[in-house]
Order: sequence, then structure tokens, then C-alpha cells
Amino acid sequence: MKDIAFLFHDPLIEKFREIKVHRKKVKKAVAKKNKDLADRLLNRPPTYKLDRLILERYPSFVDALRDLDDCLTMVHLFAALPAVEGERVQVQRIHNCRRLSHEWQAYISRTHSLRKTFISVKGIYYQAEVQGQKITWLTPHALQQVLTDDVDFNVMLTFLEFYETLLGFMNFKLYHSINVNYPPVLDPRLEALASELYALCRYMSSGIVPGNSESAKLVEDKDESELRLAQLQHQLPSNEPGALMHLVQESTAADVEDDDAKECSSLFKNLKFYLSREVPRESLLFIIPAFGGTVSWEGEGAPFDETDEDITHQIVDRPTQSHVFLSREYVQPQWIYDCVNARIILPAEGYVVGRVPPPHLSPFVDNSAEGYIPEYAETIKKLQAAARNQVLPLPSIGDEDMEKTLVEAIIDRSASNEVAEKKRKLEMLEQQYHDELKMEYEGKTYSHMKSDNQSDVVDNDSEAANNHVDDSYKQAEKDAADISKTVMSRKQRGLLEAIEIHHSRKKDKVNLLKKRKKNAESSASAKGR
Amino acid sequence: MGHSDGDHDDLSADDSPWSEDIWSDDNEGSLSFEDSGEGSDAESDETDAPAAEESDSSEDEVAPRNTVGDVPLVWYKDEEHIGYDISGRKIKKRDREGRIEAYLRNADDAKNWRKIYDEYNDEEVQITKEEAKIISRMLKGKTPHTNVDPYPDYVDWFEYDDKGHPLSSAPEPKRRFVPSKWEQKKVVKLVRAIRKGWIKFDKPKEEPNFYLLWGDETDTADNKRQGLSYIPAPKPNLPGHEESYNPSVEYIPTQEEIDSYQLMYEEDRPKFIPRRFDCLRSVPAYEKALREGFDRCLDLYLCPRTRKKRINIDPESLKPKLPSKKDLRPYPRTCYLEFKGHNGPVKSLSVEASGQWIASGSSDGTIRVWEVETGRCIKVWKVGGVVHRVAWNPQPDRHILAAIVDHDLLLLNAEIGDEEVQMRTKKLLHIEELAPEEEETGDKKPAVKWVNHDKFDGIVLIHHKAVSTVEWHFKGDYFTTVVPSGDSRAVLLHQLSKKHSHHPFRKLPGLPIAAVFHPSQKMFFVATKKFVQVYDLQKAQIVKKLESGVREISSISIHPGGDNVIVGSKMVNCVGLILIYPHVHTRH
Repeated sequence: MKDIAFLFHDPLIEKFREIKVHRKKVKKAVAKKNKDLADRLLNRPPTYKLDRLILERYPSFVDALRDLDDCLTMVHLFAALPAVEGERVQVQRIHNCRRLSHEWQAYISRTHSLRKTFISVKGIYYQAEVQGQKITWLTPHALQQVLTDDVDFNVMLTFLEFYETLLGFMNFKLYHSINVNYPPVLDPRLEALASELYALCRYMSSGIVPGNSESAKLVEDKDESELRLAQLQHQLPSNEPGALMHLVQESTAADVEDDDAKECSSLFKNLKFYLSREVPRESLLFIIPAFGGTVSWEGEGAPFDETDEDITHQIVDRPTQSHVFLSREYVQPQWIYDCVNARIILPAEGYVVGRVPPPHLSPFVDNSAEGYIPEYAETIKKLQAAARNQVLPLPSIGDEDMEKTLVEAIIDRSASNEVAEKKRKLEMLEQQYHDELKMEYEGKTYSHMKSDNQSDVVDNDSEAANNHVDDSYKQAEKDAADISKTVMSRKQRGLLEAIEIHHSRKKDKVNLLKKRKKNAESSASAKGR
Repeated sequence: MGHSDGDHDDLSADDSPWSEDIWSDDNEGSLSFEDSGEGSDAESDETDAPAAEESDSSEDEVAPRNTVGDVPLVWYKDEEHIGYDISGRKIKKRDREGRIEAYLRNADDAKNWRKIYDEYNDEEVQITKEEAKIISRMLKGKTPHTNVDPYPDYVDWFEYDDKGHPLSSAPEPKRRFVPSKWEQKKVVKLVRAIRKGWIKFDKPKEEPNFYLLWGDETDTADNKRQGLSYIPAPKPNLPGHEESYNPSVEYIPTQEEIDSYQLMYEEDRPKFIPRRFDCLRSVPAYEKALREGFDRCLDLYLCPRTRKKRINIDPESLKPKLPSKKDLRPYPRTCYLEFKGHNGPVKSLSVEASGQWIASGSSDGTIRVWEVETGRCIKVWKVGGVVHRVAWNPQPDRHILAAIVDHDLLLLNAEIGDEEVQMRTKKLLHIEELAPEEEETGDKKPAVKWVNHDKFDGIVLIHHKAVSTVEWHFKGDYFTTVVPSGDSRAVLLHQLSKKHSHHPFRKLPGLPIAAVFHPSQKMFFVATKKFVQVYDLQKAQIVKKLESGVREISSISIHPGGDNVIVGSKMVNCVGLILIYPHVHTRH
């Protein structure tokens, strides 16, 4: 009741009424052929603003940041919709979404606050950390989405309206915090080339102070050489007149940035990337600068072209390459994403063009909690450990590092456990073999013996042996547990049962994974032979 | 051809008048113009009426030769004359020349196409060249004469310039000098509207769309949430390994597993089936992207949110701490006496009222009576069947043991105590042989038959179906047995002194499990699977119905004080339940 009363007095409702009245007035004027009045009315339609609503819902900026996930996902989804006249979504809205999403990405990229990325079937997930809030969003693959009929676009567009406004204000605040004018003025040529993101990045790096004539000139300039110069300016701040600003900003930023951000910003430092035509350009243009790399692409407006000698990596996604430069590595796009997640430069051998890349793993999964660690995760862990030993003289091990070492320890232990298990199994095998021999001596028929031993097949015989020993103990324990169960209150018993079911499900899942893995391995080995 | 001939013919009639004054009078000209049209029509009809009319209308013309006037020429068809001239003499018809002749003449004559036959005057006229030209112009829809200008310049009647006075000498009205009242009213209206701001002309000022909404984060007072309490929506689940475009092999289900999903319930079915793509290039657009976004929207605005505390408990902590056995001491731990003798499992045990004796029934087919103090076996009956139940008569001077053997009831003389008591018991347990005719009274098998035991000193109550329990009344004369499958004869009351039994409870709500007497009052309790029914024995009617709430009652007993009823159930964890009678109150 209270919330209805509250909503009833919302000023927006008053606005909506006004709009309704206005619509009626126009209709009446048109019906009376009072064209003058109708025109006058149509010129000044009442509008409403959502800023109050946003402030009401998110009184502080951090609140808004915390809830930004859905907003970003939605805006990115609409940005990927076809901007076609006559569809259910207005073209202008889609363009607005695209602009907002690029602005957001430019900010993230600029502040190096991207943390994790993941290519899923649904799209590409990104996780950034802004002011201590982890923000995850999903961008669909850069392909035409089909507008289906099973969704109500009115609902979605209403949500989108709120989200657009919210993201606009967020961007304003964020840009303000890094001292950039908010509605960014972009190089129209780059915009036309649909490399808006790059234009934005350039704007941010150059046009920090609005009065900076140099930056203004840069923005206006459309010369190819100037473009390259701008890119250089981004790299070598000491050479340029606007460098002072740069330096100041860098130094202040360095104070704020924690180790994590530093690590992120220097991941791809000194690397130069070149994107081929077929790779998802927008995504990579976003990620690589976010981790400190320099990037160019095939097409117009690119800062440098393919023949540049300094290029260290070329991202390629086709099976064959026409012209191969020996000075650079040709890798598949997944390499970038995996490097970002692992925070180290992974060896590029696995990702060479034409090969099936190693499995792409989700960085959002806590493997130890899940109870199952995929094989590739372990290799990455080892590589990470190796890299740390090499690089770090250990000036500062953050909490995360501690965590990582812990995880590694766990992994090691599990590995050793496995080794022990194997050993035991071997012993069991041997034992069985001896037994069989003995039996043969005694003159038992093979079949009889087999039927005897049928129960403990090699796979689970260790367990079985254990069982025989521990049977009575287990029984006693189980009884004790059952007794305590009977004494529990009904609610608690329910809770306990739920937990147990959860655990068993989890275990089942892990077992299933292990089984599949084993099957796959066996089939692969069979094929190998 | 004939048509055009007629036309010419007709016009030739008013040849002369036309040529003379057709241009002098407009009216006349137009009239003749009309006439010529009609005349041509009439000509095609071969009737003279229009021609006559034509001659009448043109008064200025030279009068025609014929003076008959506007009469149908048919009237003169058979006459020799066609009419009369001015002087009143008959005008004779000309001789009809033959068709061939006329044709020949026409063929010779070059001007023949201009000749028209005038029927009224009965003569042939020839059209002049000018007339033919006029006709051709009219046929084309032009003015008949070439000299006519259809659009002459307008010439005004009066010339106002430099005349110095108006046409009308009426004085100018006042309204010409006074400003319009209505106009002024309209203007005032508009001016007021503008002043008051109802009409605005300037474009609304463009306000910046975005500004620093969250100003200083420092003032906390401003940050207070004013409106409704807001519970942030839970974040969507993060993707796991299986959602990757290139998951490791173990995450991809086999075809059989995918098929088996079809057999699952809709809601159990996994929403997402992992797939593997060789390269990023081949990943298609996710077709459910919009749908999922929409679902998320629906979740956000349709699902009520509550704050929920997520507890992460160790399941072990949920289990209550059981007291260890050591803490529960002292409790009997050492075995004091053992009554040895039975070969099979002991099924039932009963203590005699004085507490000196114990009777036990076992599935090895024996009933034994023991002395409690010494553990000595006093007596053994080999009844030759599984003993389900034994029960002592509660009266201390009647040493009678009721036992259920197989599915009949056995009343045995325990043969303990002094002589007198034994004698009385023996007498009590003796029945005179019944007359055989009594057996055939009922067509049904009687519920119970009292028969002397052939081997031991006792009585057998042969029931129609298997007996499950036996229970004594506190006075020791009555006892009850329950036959669960006995339908209306399930609960039986027996009187020992009269060797009589009857079944007063015809209707029971469910299967009877057990029945007991109240230890002091005239009450009787029957336990069915769910309920306990309390009967008044004297009135033989139901007094109360107790609902236990347990799933299945397995046994019932009454406290010797008579206040409490205890019911046991088969549920594992619900061991006992106490119904306090008469104030019903249950406690688990």
C-alpha cells in the first residue's frame, strides 16, 4: 500500500498526464483545422527526464555502479541490433546505445580497469573493476541479431530508456573523474569508419583539457601522418607539447592505481598488435589498449599498417596466411583473452594459426570450490607460477597472490594424492596377480576364480578393500549420524538434507566430468593407435 | 453520304436570311445555330416538323413559299399539293423523278454535294461556299464566323479617373474610420496569452542532457535514500567453463546424454547444452540473446525481492551434540540375571500382578513361566505354534495366562499359588461340553468358539480369523481380543466366568490395531490406524474420538493412574505420543 501511495505522488506521473493532455490538445486542434495552434503545440511537446528517478534509486554513485551489470548488458545488446529503419527499434536509439557503450568501453580501456574476459557462446563477457565494484557485462557477438517475436519490445525499450539515461550519467561522472569533457567530440572521419571506440580513445588521450589547442588541432586534423602522430603521442608522452598534462595525469593515476591495475596496464606493454579483417575488431580494440598494448587493424583509418616492422603479434583467424612476416607471431584471437585472464603472456605455440586452440576456460569459476580442475587450468597455473618466479623479486605479494599460492598448494597436494592413489592401485594389481598365481597353483579353475574376484575389479578394488576394513566403523558412524538426525528439529533436518543433496549433486557433476574426460582420452588414444 | 446531304438541304432553306442578318443580332444568330443542329437531326428522321418550326421562328426572313404553317407534312402526303402560297393558291407537288435519274443527275453535277432538298417547300436549294465554310467551322466547334474574337478586352461602363466624384453620393459609414472591435478583442486575447506565458515563441532552451548527478559524495545527508526501500537485484549468474565457445572436451555431453535430456522433466532439463567451435570465426550469433535479455527484464520488474540471508553452514554443525554415553551414567550396564531356556526369539513377555512370576512366549512354540528372583523356569507348555502374545490375568488370585498361539487364543492355568486358588482357577477354566446343535445356529461361522484344550488344563478360543492382541480388564473377568481383519467382528469382548463373547463394535473408522480397558473406569479404548476411540462400556456408545496425528498407530497403552494414554507409532523418529485424557493434549 505504502509503495503504491508513494508511486502515486511521483512527479513523473504528473508529467505523463501532461503529455496525455498535450496529445489530446493536438488532436483537437487538428480536428478543428486550427493548423496554427496544432503546429505551435507540436513544436513544444512536454518532455520528461529520468534523472530524479536515477538519483532516487541510486543515491550514491557506488550504488549505481553496483547495479550497472544489467544496464551494460542491455545497452550492449541493443547496440548489436540491426539499425534498420522500419524495425521495431528506432535507429536513433540503437545509435545512442552504440555511442554509450563505446564511451563506457573507452573509459574502462583508458583507466585499465578491465580484469577478466571470456568468450562464451552467448557473447563476450567482460569484468571490470571500478571503484572497488566488480562489474560484469555481456556483449553479443558482432553479428546481426534477429529481432524475434517472442519478446515484448515495449518492456525492453522502457528498461532501455532508463538504462540509457543511467549510463549517460555514469559516463559523465566517470569522465569527470578522469578530467575529460563528457559529451566527447569525435573525429567525424573515424566515426564514419565505425571505429568509434578508437576515436574515443584518442579523444581521451589527447583532448584532456578542452582549451588545449593542440588537441583541438589533433581532433580536427585528418591527415594520415597526424593520425600516426597521435598514436605516437599516446606512447611517448615526453615528445609532445601536451605531454605535461599526460605526465601529471599518469603520476596521479599511479598513486590511485593498486597493484592489480598496474599489472593490468602493463600486460601488453611494448607489444604491438595488428588485427586481420576476420577477427572481432571492436572487442580486441577494447581489450588490447586496456592492457597497455598498441593496436592497429586492417582497413581505413588505422594508425599503422600491416607492413610495420614493429608489430609483434598479428591476430588472425583464418586457416592460411598469404604473406607471413617472420618478425611477428600469428595467433588466434583466443590467445588475447587467455593472456588477459591468466595475466601473463602465454606461449603462442598453442594458438598458432590453423590449429585448434586449447580449451577456453571461464575466469569466473573458482575451480577448487567447484571440485574439478580442468587440465588446461593447471597448465596455466604452472605457467603463472613460473612467470612469477622469473619476474618477481617479490616486492609485494598482494592478497590475491597469496590466494594463488594457496590454490597452487592445493593443486600440488591433490596431484600428490593422485600419485599415491596410482601407486596403490598398482600394488593392488600386483597383489591380485599374485593371488591369481597362487590360485592357479591350487588348481582352481580360472572361471571360478574370476567369479570370485568379479566384485573387486581393478578400478574400485582399492575402495573395496578399504570398505572391508572400515565397514564396521562406517556403520557405527552412520548410526551415530542417524541418531543425531532423529533428534534434530524438522527445519534443521530439512536444511541438512538440502545441503547433502547439494553436495551429492555437485559430486555427481564432477564425477560425470571425470568420466567424460576419461572416455575422451581413451577414445583419443584408441584413435592414436 | 445521305446524312451530309440532308444537312445541306436543311440549311439551304434559310439560306438567304442567314446570310443577311445573322451577324446583326446575337440572339438570332444563336437561335439559328440551334436550329441548324435540330434540323440536321430531323433530317435524318425524314420528318418535316423541325423544318416547319424553323420557318416559323425566323420572322425576319423572307416568308417561305408555302404557308401551311407548323403542321405535320404527313397530312399532305397523299395530296397533290404541298400547301398554299400567300395568295392562297395551291402549290403543286413537283413530279417525282426516278431514283436513277436523280443519281445520274447528281453524278454529273459537280456542285451536287451542296444541294439540299427542302421538303417543306418541295424544292432543291444549293448552299453557297461561305455557308459550307460556316458549317464546317461549326462542326469543328469553332465560332461560325472567322472574324469573331471570343475573348475581347473588357471595356468598363464608366471611367473613374479624373472624374472627381464617386458614383454614389452616400456618405462614408463610421465603421470605415473606427478600428475593428473584434479584431481588437482577438489581439487582446493573444497579448494576454503571450504575457501570461500560455503562448511561447522562443524555442525551449536546450538543457544539457547529462550533468554531474552525483555531486559530492561527502555529504552523507544527501545520500540518504528517501523513497521506498530498495533491494538491489541479484546479479545474473556468471558463466562457467561449459559456456565457453571452446570448452574442454569433458564439458561436452555425448549424443546419448543429449537424447536423455528429452526424457527429463521440462524444469530439470539443462538450459544450456555446451558446444565446441574450432575457431572464433565460426561462432554464430546467439539466437536467444534477446529472449534472455527480456527474461531478465521480466525478472527485474515482476519478481518481488526480499532480503535473504545466505548462510553457509557446516552441515556437521547442524547436528545436535549427542551426550556421550559416559555422561549418562549411572545406568544399568551389567547383566544381573538371564532366563535361559527358549530356543527361538522371545516374542512377548508378561509380569504377573504380584510381581513374582514372569511369563514369556517364544516363536519356538513354548510358553514358559519363570520365577523372577531366581530365574528358575517353573513351567513349560509346548503349544506347538508361534506364541505371539502372553498376558497375565491382573487379578492376583487368578493365575491365568492368556496367550495367542498361531491365530487362536489360549487360556492356561499357570498352576501356581496355593491349593485353593488353583482349584478356583481350574473351575473357572472348565466348560461343559456344548450341545452340537448350537453350532449350526448361525449360517456364518461364529466369531469365537470356546473349547476345552485337549492337552493342557485350559480353554482355547477359536477365532474366525487371526488374533493380534489380547488385553485383560482390571477385574480379571473380562478380556478383549482384536482380530484386525475381522471387519464388523474385529473387536471382541469375552467374559471368562460365563464363557461368553460378543462383539459390540460394529463400525470402526479403519482397521483396528489394539484395544484396551481403562484401569479404573468403565471405559474402553480402541486404536485404529489414525484414531483412538473411547467407548463407554455401560452405555455401549462412543464417548470421544482422539486424533493422534501420527501416520500409523502401532500400539496403545493407558497409564495405571487412568489419566494418560500413550500411543506408539511406526514412524522412526516419533517414538511416543501422549494423549492426556480427558483433557486432550498431545505431545510428541
